[in-house]
Amino acid sequence: MAPPPLLLCFILVLASFSDTCFAIISFSSLQRTLVVTASHPQRLLKAGEDKITVTWGLNQSFPAGTDSAYKTIKVQLCYAPISQVDRAWRKTHDNLSKDKTCQFKIVKTPYTTTNHTSEWTIERDVPTATYFVRAYALDTQDQQVAYGQNTDAKKTTNLFEIQAITGRHVSLDIASVCFSAFSIVALMGFFFAEKRKGGKAQQ
Amino acid sequence: MEISSNGAETQPKFALPVDSEHKATEFRLFSAAAPHMRAFHLSWVSFFACFVSTFAAPPLLPIIRDNLNLTATDIGNAGIASVSGAVFARLAMGTACDLFGPRLASASLILLTAPVVFFTSIASSPVSFLLVRFFTGFSLATFVSTQFWMSSMFSAPVVGTANGVAGGWGNLGGGATQLIMPLVFGLIRDIGAVKFTAWRIAFFIPALFQTLSAFAVLMFGQDLPDGNYKRLQKSGDKQKDKFSRVFYHGITNYRGWILALTYGYCFGVELTIDNIIAEYFYDRFNLKLHTAGIIAASFGLANIISRPGGGILSDVMGKRFGMRGRLWTLWTVQTLGGVFCIILGQVDSLSASVAVMIIFSIFVQAACGLTFGVVPFVSRRSLGVISGMTGGGGNVGAVVTQLIFFKGSKYSKETGITLMGVMIICCSLPLLLIYFPQWGGMFCGPSSAKTATEEDYYMSEWSSDEKDKGLHEASLKFADNSRRERGRSVHSQTLPSNATPPANA
Repeated sequence: MAPPPLLLCFILVLASFSDTCFAIISFSSLQRTLVVTASHPQRLLKAGEDKITVTWGLNQSFPAGTDSAYKTIKVQLCYAPISQVDRAWRKTHDNLSKDKTCQFKIVKTPYTTTNHTSEWTIERDVPTATYFVRAYALDTQDQQVAYGQNTDAKKTTNLFEIQAITGRHVSLDIASVCFSAFSIVALMGFFFAEKRKGGKAQQ
Repeated sequence: MEISSNGAETQPKFALPVDSEHKATEFRLFSAAAPHMRAFHLSWVSFFACFVSTFAAPPLLPIIRDNLNLTATDIGNAGIASVSGAVFARLAMGTACDLFGPRLASASLILLTAPVVFFTSIASSPVSFLLVRFFTGFSLATFVSTQFWMSSMFSAPVVGTANGVAGGWGNLGGGATQLIMPLVFGLIRDIGAVKFTAWRIAFFIPALFQTLSAFAVLMFGQDLPDGNYKRLQKSGDKQKDKFSRVFYHGITNYRGWILALTYGYCFGVELTIDNIIAEYFYDRFNLKLHTAGIIAASFGLANIISRPGGGILSDVMGKRFGMRGRLWTLWTVQTLGGVFCIILGQVDSLSASVAVMIIFSIFVQAACGLTFGVVPFVSRRSLGVISGMTGGGGNVGAVVTQLIFFKGSKYSKETGITLMGVMIICCSLPLLLIYFPQWGGMFCGPSSAKTATEEDYYMSEWSSDEKDKGLHEASLKFADNSRRERGRSVHSQTLPSNATPPANA
């Protein structure tokens, strides 16, 4: 069953050290050098059905050589502030290793100096919320060195809403109702059987 | 001390040694002999199933909260709702046990709440989520029927043990579910279902388990060693009692109220921790959700030994020191639980927190077991109502504690835990006030008045009319069997020479 307490403590202490191997990267230290745009149908988007087309590239107003460290680009779907209210599991932290703003990966590809476009079908496990798109530039150690996003710094413009799948199926609904009815009917059946047995046992 | 029944009636053969009420005087864990040990296994398994269902949602919350678009407030409210339903359900269950017997009462409740667990699969909003958690929580009232059933099947020397093991192994469900549900969910998702469908299918497992356990109780269980209530009532061996009288004698017994309060601060604390501890470790020490879940599970899993340990300890102390020993041990263990709770909120490191939490869980759960070593003696006629009050008080403690310390952002979780520890210590003090005329209390010995015997205490629940009709016979037998609660040294000296003759009529 549960491992002995001492062993558990030891494992947990070791596990807790695994996070501290990397230097802390803060979001505020990153430069916004990428230009990101996202295009999609202008209505409530449906998870599993609709597509988002994301385009990103280096902002040409930055001096040449800014992108020398960029190895990969990771584009992510991120929660807008309105969808973070009263939900600590989506909280924005400056420390990127603790940051929970961007939880869905759209695409991760090697960095190219020319503009890149990617089309992404919204996955079926994306919850109902308001989102924006952010791209991180990663170096050879997979650490963030720069970013870009399709909204402004306050995350108020170009937001879009996605409607999740319900996860429900007609077969599930029917199964639930059938099993529930069965429980109730079985209970009534037992009661009738008890009454009849009780009547017979009377001498 | 077994008092042999007179040989005039045909003596049914029991697999275990029994007393004059045919309650078992030994507890054999690895036997499934009818009726005693079979009742034990049926009751703990069905109670375990109810705990699994009630706490099936918390480990899957990371998925459910995204599917149903829940906020932290919604989750907190649903958590409070899950334990508040049982407050009155436990009291109602106690009364139902007194009137209809634990077998029918518990199986009915389980089969009536199983549909709600099935309907969890089709929940689609925060409101429906709260409602299913609220109604599923009603099934925790099976705790009362478990304790009542054990108190009806097992005699004074082992009633604490039986109650403790049945209660503890049932509570285990709250810990086991934190491991079972993610496993089942993972399996279903790997087979090919998408996340938001997989968790819905996963809920069929606790629901089916619950339904099947209720069938087992109905088919293989019986209320009393001699048979079921209905048959015994028809043959005249058991008198059908009046609800109003049973209820009255239960709620007018001040000891029931004190135990309700103190149980709120061992079991209520346990329920509160079940709801908040995973998040506490996750947030404070930045653990992965999976790791936090394992720690949360280990709190509930300690129940496998800690609550039974409390019950066994109660019986050991009862054998040596009588009821006074049971009361002193209960107060000491529960107060120490409060002390460790205060320490838990203060420690800063992960390993110390886990260690303190495990020690804290052992004390708090042992206190639960110790409480139900005292409850069977508070009343014989209204055993169900007293059990229901105590059990309901446990849930009230959980609701009140979560409302005061763990809702919103008034207190940080660690401050809340420390303050909860202080409240445990304060709310355990009323135990000092419990007094039995025939056995004494924590600070006073038994009364030397001539009317202070076990018979007087239990007969005070019956009016002279009812005694004329012979309705009090079972209580008389119980009073005789409970004489050992005077403790070893006193018991061997004071075998009353003019005691009412045992089980004669």
